[in-house]
Amino acid sequence: MLKIDNLVTRFGSVVAIDGISMQAQESKITTVIGANGAGKSTLLRTISGLEHPSSGSITWKGQSIIGKRPEDIVRLGIAHVPEGHAVISELSVEENISMGSLFRRRKFKSDITTAIDEMYALFPRLKERRKQLAGTLSGGERQMLAISRALVSRPQLLLLDEPSLGLAPLVVEQIIDSVNILCRSTGLSVLLVEQNANTALGVADHGVLLALGKVVADRPASELKADAKLRAAYLGY
Amino acid sequence: MNTFLAALSLGTSRGAIFALVALGLVIVWRGAGIVNFAQMGQAMFSTYIASTLITNGYSYWIAFFVALLSGAALGALLDIFIMRPLSNKKQSELLSSESMRAAVPVIASLGILGALQALAGIIWAAEERGFPSPAKQEGFTVAGNVLPFTSFDVFVVSIVTVALILTTLFFTKTSIGLAMRATALNQEVAKLSGIRTNRTRTISWAISGAASSLAGLLITPTSNLSPNTLDLVLIVGFTAAVVGGLDSPVGAVLGGFILGMVISFVTFYDTPEDVFLAILAVLLAVLIIRPRGILGSKDARRV
Amino acid sequence: MRAVSNLKVKSIARTSLIRTLIFTALILIVGAQFDAYNQAQLAVVLILFIGVLSITLLTGISGQLSLGQGALMAVGGYSTALLITNYTLSLWVAVPLSIITSAIAGLLLGVAAARLRGPYLAGTTLVIALAIPTIANRFMSVFKGDEGLQVDVGYPPQWFTTVFGEPTYEQWQLYVALPFAAVALFFASNILLSRTGRMWRSIRDNESAASLAGVNFSRQKIYVFIISSTFAGLSGALYGLRGLVGPSVYPVSLSLLLLTAAVLGGIRSITGAFIGTVIVVFLPDWIELILGNFELSEQVSNFLPALISSLLLILTVVINPAGVAGVKLHKHK
Repeated sequence: MLKIDNLVTRFGSVVAIDGISMQAQESKITTVIGANGAGKSTLLRTISGLEHPSSGSITWKGQSIIGKRPEDIVRLGIAHVPEGHAVISELSVEENISMGSLFRRRKFKSDITTAIDEMYALFPRLKERRKQLAGTLSGGERQMLAISRALVSRPQLLLLDEPSLGLAPLVVEQIIDSVNILCRSTGLSVLLVEQNANTALGVADHGVLLALGKVVADRPASELKADAKLRAAYLGY
Repeated sequence: MNTFLAALSLGTSRGAIFALVALGLVIVWRGAGIVNFAQMGQAMFSTYIASTLITNGYSYWIAFFVALLSGAALGALLDIFIMRPLSNKKQSELLSSESMRAAVPVIASLGILGALQALAGIIWAAEERGFPSPAKQEGFTVAGNVLPFTSFDVFVVSIVTVALILTTLFFTKTSIGLAMRATALNQEVAKLSGIRTNRTRTISWAISGAASSLAGLLITPTSNLSPNTLDLVLIVGFTAAVVGGLDSPVGAVLGGFILGMVISFVTFYDTPEDVFLAILAVLLAVLIIRPRGILGSKDARRV
Repeated sequence: MRAVSNLKVKSIARTSLIRTLIFTALILIVGAQFDAYNQAQLAVVLILFIGVLSITLLTGISGQLSLGQGALMAVGGYSTALLITNYTLSLWVAVPLSIITSAIAGLLLGVAAARLRGPYLAGTTLVIALAIPTIANRFMSVFKGDEGLQVDVGYPPQWFTTVFGEPTYEQWQLYVALPFAAVALFFASNILLSRTGRMWRSIRDNESAASLAGVNFSRQKIYVFIISSTFAGLSGALYGLRGLVGPSVYPVSLSLLLLTAAVLGGIRSITGAFIGTVIVVFLPDWIELILGNFELSEQVSNFLPALISSLLLILTVVINPAGVAGVKLHKHK
């Protein structure tokens, strides 16, 4: 569904992505792993339109999406949960989730309440805190909120950037599990960027290993997980 | 006692207008993240348009609504042709410094103010002209005493109250309002949520433009219309917004009334020459004691 | 370490001195070619140039946007006028003395404004710009209200006429303004090249990084205000010596004029400050030159310069925020 071909993204003289070619397979979880600075976040940001590549192509359902604005790419069915501050602290939980559905108001009015309810069902903790300001939530709850905001737009591809960052292992497990369930039950395609390669490879179907902006390995997750040499060289364990 | 009532009355009606100006500033701040110093220039311009219509025989209310529409249109145009290209500009090394990035939109809005004033001078000359009021400007008579409240004052206060209620509802209850708040607070997350941030910002500018036109229409009957009359109103409006909290519509109104009262009481009990110093004193006091403003949130100071 | 920094200080001073000398020479040469009207204009350019430098230092180098430089000019102007009128001091004594009052005003302003940023700073300084001149009306006995105080550049001293002959009034205005402008240029150049200048730039560019590097930016910001205010005060003193010191001489539009000049020319450099001042002062003349053949109504010609400079300001900010000087200027910040 998502094809990336020879993508190059630069920041001034720094080449963050140096000719990446890969795919995000439909209804599967593809994980992009690698050390810090490998270009993982930049990759997601280039796909979602926050950054513009210098060369290469990105096609989604056969259409090129390079040069499109982020808000248009969302409308095409790709939702990006950026790392770090992906929620607006000054707005309430409810408002944060609603944000993701605003652009669908005109066409899918009735579906929106359903979508929001589904998020509350997936993350009951959010329902409890629906009127609270997002800034008062714990790290894990904020991550759930960010994911909900993205999912409420009914994407076909979810770009998830380091959901485990700064979170306790138990919380991380919960979140990754929920995403996993979602993928398997609704056919959502997921592109998961993770520093925590172990956890990521545990749920993913396919794995792409990046180093210094290039693809080093592109294999089924189980194979990557088993390859001890690769893991030691690039992932440090 | 009469002086007190007179001061109170003037404070209320002027306060209502300052509240409106402050509200316009808050709308652009919340929707677009900048303080629009050109606001009263826009107001002045739309009021001139209204004045021209009235001199050509159109009724007050037609002129009123045309002024509001032109205010909104002008605001939108300013955003599309000036502010949007400004925020899209990434290359300049000048803009890599935080403070310059904050200063540049302010300078742009000052340029717009200057251009609008000069343009008004070219089109309509700088002569002062009067402006009619839709309601009587004489005080009510009760039991033989003339109260210092006029029906125009009542008109002003009621319009501002309605405006405040509509604005608060708009921001908190509507989708566009949510989109505007999201865009101003975190543009990136807003974009990733599918919000058309450019369009949203333009709408903020349009609404603010209409609000400032309204303020212009309400204040000119009591003063006169010339390219520079409304400058002072902007200063007071700005102070009111800061006092109330730059991100709070209710705060803006509160600030407006506070400032209206301060100015009125200083005018009546002290001397009009002290007004600006009084405004300055209030501004400095707030910025030193409670920088976020009375009702501003903790992040109200974020530039 | 000491020896190296001393060397640096000396070479900075030398560079500044050379610049100042070249500047002075150019002005004298160009001024000699001008007719009386343009000589007077050139004098205004020199005077306002000092004021624009105050913005270059405050906004261009340390990143603080102030719309109240006109008020600081008024402080300088009134100080000088009062010293001359009430104490019959010569302008050569009064003007340097009024730098002290300007510095004090700058200190007060800095203390009030150091914690402010962006629009808050801009708005507050704008309020100050409006408030300060009203003091003139408040204490009419001292400041003579709207009428103001009349002062002028006076006559050249005996030794001058003996050596150089009798200058015309316009020439004398030029000869009075030039030494002050040269001194201002020297100091501005020094600051820009020095460690202080670098410190101020670091505050402008990234406050958090600057504070980590140990820069006490609150204090530095106040210093900038003090220094920039002395420039503004000096400019205001000379500006008043054109004939009148009163509230009408220092309106808010003066502050905006200085800002426009700074931005158009290039807000980060001395060259930019000069170019911008030239543009702003001569623009009405150039417009008349270009459009002189067209029959423009008084209405239009009165406001056209203001319209064009405002439009130029907008265009500059949108298209090339670094101004004229910034186009080629890529090394020095």
